[in-house]
Amino acid sequence: MRLFHRLASILWWIVRRDRAERRLDDDIRSFVEMAAADRVREGIPDLEARRLALVELGGVDQVKESVRSGRHGALLDDVGRDVRYAFRLLGRQPTFAAVIIVTLALGIGANTAFFSIVDGLLLRTLPVQEPERLALLVAPPPSAQQSWTYPIWQEIQRHADRFDGVFAWTRFDAQFNLTQGGETQFANGVWASAGSFDVLGVKPVVGRLFVPADDRPGGGDGGPVAVISHAFWQERFGGAPDVIGRTLTVERVPLTIVGVTPPGFSGLNVGRSFDVAVPFGIEPLIRGTNQSRLNRRTSWWLSVMVRLRPRQSLEDATAVLQTFQPGIREATRPPLRPGETADEYLSEPLMFVSAARGQSGLRDTYGRPLLVMMMVVGAVLLIACANIANLLLARATARGHEWSVRLALGASRGRLARQLLIESLLLAAMGAAAGLIVAQWGSELLVSQLATDSAYLELPLDWRMLGFTAAMALAAALVFGVAPAWRAARGAPIDAMKDRGRNNAGSGRVTVANSLVLAQVALSLVLLICAGLFLRTFGRLTTASLGFDRDRVLLASLDSRRADLAPPARLAVYERIRQRVLAVPGVEQAAISIVVPLGGAMWSRRIDVSGSTLRGGDASDGPEGFGFTDRPIPENSPLAVFNGITPGWIATFGTQLLAGRDLSGHDGPGSPRVALVNQAFARKFLNGANPVGHTMHLTREPDSPAIEIVGLLADAVYRDVREPTLPTAYVPLLQSSEQGQPDGPAVVTLSVRAASSRPGLLTKAVAAAAGEINPTLAITFRTLDDRLTDTLMRERLLAFMSASFGALALLMAAVGLYGVTSYAVNLRRTEIGIRMALGATRGSVIGLVLGRVSMLIGAGIVVGLAIGTWASRFIATLLSGLDPRDPATLLASVVTLAVVSALAGWLPASRASRLDPTEVLREI
Amino acid sequence: MARKDPDRMDKLDVPQGTLELMILTILAREPLHGYGISQRLAALSHDNFQVNPGSLFPSLYRLEQDGQLKAEWRASENNRNAKYYALTAAGRRQLEQHRRRWNRISFAIASVLEGA
Repeated sequence: MRLFHRLASILWWIVRRDRAERRLDDDIRSFVEMAAADRVREGIPDLEARRLALVELGGVDQVKESVRSGRHGALLDDVGRDVRYAFRLLGRQPTFAAVIIVTLALGIGANTAFFSIVDGLLLRTLPVQEPERLALLVAPPPSAQQSWTYPIWQEIQRHADRFDGVFAWTRFDAQFNLTQGGETQFANGVWASAGSFDVLGVKPVVGRLFVPADDRPGGGDGGPVAVISHAFWQERFGGAPDVIGRTLTVERVPLTIVGVTPPGFSGLNVGRSFDVAVPFGIEPLIRGTNQSRLNRRTSWWLSVMVRLRPRQSLEDATAVLQTFQPGIREATRPPLRPGETADEYLSEPLMFVSAARGQSGLRDTYGRPLLVMMMVVGAVLLIACANIANLLLARATARGHEWSVRLALGASRGRLARQLLIESLLLAAMGAAAGLIVAQWGSELLVSQLATDSAYLELPLDWRMLGFTAAMALAAALVFGVAPAWRAARGAPIDAMKDRGRNNAGSGRVTVANSLVLAQVALSLVLLICAGLFLRTFGRLTTASLGFDRDRVLLASLDSRRADLAPPARLAVYERIRQRVLAVPGVEQAAISIVVPLGGAMWSRRIDVSGSTLRGGDASDGPEGFGFTDRPIPENSPLAVFNGITPGWIATFGTQLLAGRDLSGHDGPGSPRVALVNQAFARKFLNGANPVGHTMHLTREPDSPAIEIVGLLADAVYRDVREPTLPTAYVPLLQSSEQGQPDGPAVVTLSVRAASSRPGLLTKAVAAAAGEINPTLAITFRTLDDRLTDTLMRERLLAFMSASFGALALLMAAVGLYGVTSYAVNLRRTEIGIRMALGATRGSVIGLVLGRVSMLIGAGIVVGLAIGTWASRFIATLLSGLDPRDPATLLASVVTLAVVSALAGWLPASRASRLDPTEVLREI
Repeated sequence: MARKDPDRMDKLDVPQGTLELMILTILAREPLHGYGISQRLAALSHDNFQVNPGSLFPSLYRLEQDGQLKAEWRASENNRNAKYYALTAAGRRQLEQHRRRWNRISFAIASVLEGA
């Protein structure tokens, strides 16, 4: 009750301040009136009575002040006054305030952006029921396996009663094509066991989620069903309430939508968001019965998770698991390959680890780099705060007079310090508010850059983010507010007696300020060096000669796996499509190939080349076969990479033919085997001699006919622009089938060269042309240029971020330098004035000031160079061959820093040189 | 502070912590304005106590904030508008508490003084 009254009265005082003050005034004055009246009655004359009454009171204003300071909520009043005063002061120096607020906004914003990503990717638990009770089935290191087969899952399901629920989910999101044919439209898909949502505790927002019946092969009673995510529902169906019961075609299989998951649930793979979830039972329908992985004991594609019982720990669950692990081994052992023994299968004891945070490919790739960047960004904020502290200190010099006066009038030192802290907090609060905006924008930018395809991280502006921002702001305010506050508390009232209270007690402060600036300069140089290295790397990669024209080619992947196309007919259909596309207006050339440049795929074979010292039979290692891998081809192994191409491929890409002839239509299945090779091939196998006329054999197929090399091509990028050119052999598509597999490949790439420089415009026409021949092929378009940009995403991101932070650090170092030099100049005003009065020229004054500044900059550069050249080795792997101690980059960084710093120091020096000596002398 | 009047004995300041008790006690009888309270206090204490208005008024305002006093503006004896403070129900309860506490203290002090 008392509290209620207090709050009410505090509120009233704030809201009706004038009235309250007037009332107070009346109250006190009536005391005086009555005391005076009493004395008059005693016979004392009027004026004397009044005076005595006032003396008895002790002074109207003093009493009013005691009432005010004795009130509950008096502190609030004071603080409010301080805040208003702080606002007024900042308003008088808007540039100063703006510089500080912008610096803080950038520093705090960058930190918050990184924190929200780190939080979303690394810290936050899944938005499901009791995520800490979820556990993931893994094998211990060294294999650390996390993917399991469907038969293994079925075995585990049989023991589900030992836990509080089990479920299985695809380890990696699948891509579901939603169209019937022609150009593809992909959605992120997951396969899930029927009990998944139940065990997770996820409730549908519309309709229902999976029930056990849905998992039956071929679907439950209603036929095959699917569940979609909230985001997908909004995006594709516009959030229409009648989405339940609608049909969604996935890989040409119609599925009925039965439910929508709630917003915020984006699957178990953090960093990816699923669109469609499909129960296992339907998998054979979608992948085809032959391709189904449900019976395969060799397809490792599932994550298995359990929900622990309420008092079951991970160790308990692991113990339970190990009791039936032998059963799993027995029941799910795959057929042995020659040389394998049965003992190795699942021999390590399986175990459970916490799955509260889900799994994440994004986390695995970027987790550590993100943490490192957080520290960098934190350091940048610290430097920014040091900067601001210096700025405030410099400003404090001018305010010494104000504080001395206040102290002399009776203010307590604590009061002054509080005022200054409030000023700092105000700046920090405004900086933080602006920083939130920067953070929102920055984190969205970062996420969009982190992964090329559909990275998804929920980064809501929630309490955690706000809390973090507030904490940063508070910390910042304390860091840069304490120094001036402490200084104010030490001011002497006697300075108010002097005309201009200049305090020369700052020598200790100057050393601190100087060392801070030195650190800033050094750190900025380090960041500049990194930025320079990343920028050069990126520049080299984007301007590297690719061996083909990058801006005229449209790539179309033709996928016949789910099309109405019999495998033997594939090659013929591909050729017909190629011919039809050639007739499309705007198309200059078209060709088909098995491997597309920059596709990440590699088809390598072991060969014997006539006249080569490298023999195919040599025992040496290297990846063989067709796959998506980034393993390199070792120098000494007789491996070359291959591509199957049609005539016109060279012209489509603009690769140069250096010797011999191109492939032609005559090089067909029945004709002699021919091939083109590139310069890297000639260098590797023939020491650079002209390869035309030589022959090669495929080591693994000794019965196949020899292949004659009929042409030499210039080097061109095969798989990745970062690696040196691989030795490549190009065979005709029609001669490219391997032994025992006469049908053409299921997926090929149609490359189209456009007459204009906007190949993307041909998409519709090419799709239509292909559709005329076979409308059920799945076609995915991408321009070669975009493909190249995609592959360089990481370098681009690094260059962008490091350049941004480098520039930011440089700017802050410059501002810090400016501030410190101004402060030093201010301290030495008298000295400079006297020098000028005695005849020193402007130039010599500038030299005097700059001399000391240069020492500071020089020291900073030396330290920064040392650290930078040492630290750059850690990023060497990201530089694609650029020497981390590249002298040109180092020189450029040093020069940039020196120029900017010199400018920052010159400005106050020049101001010092324009001092009017007479004015200074007058002040002494 | 107050100029010493050579005719009167030096007045004592109100002991620490008892001001609230005294204010509440005085106002229990009838509502009074600030000046009236200070006069009544002087009278009741036989001129032994003097209260510093610099302490009285803050106490009054604090008690009012706490809901133990309520204030009313009305005409005083001189026909001027003055702020009269009156006790509330909560104030009466508080007074009881203060009183009991004070009785304990004074009994304890008296006992010590007697017994020592």
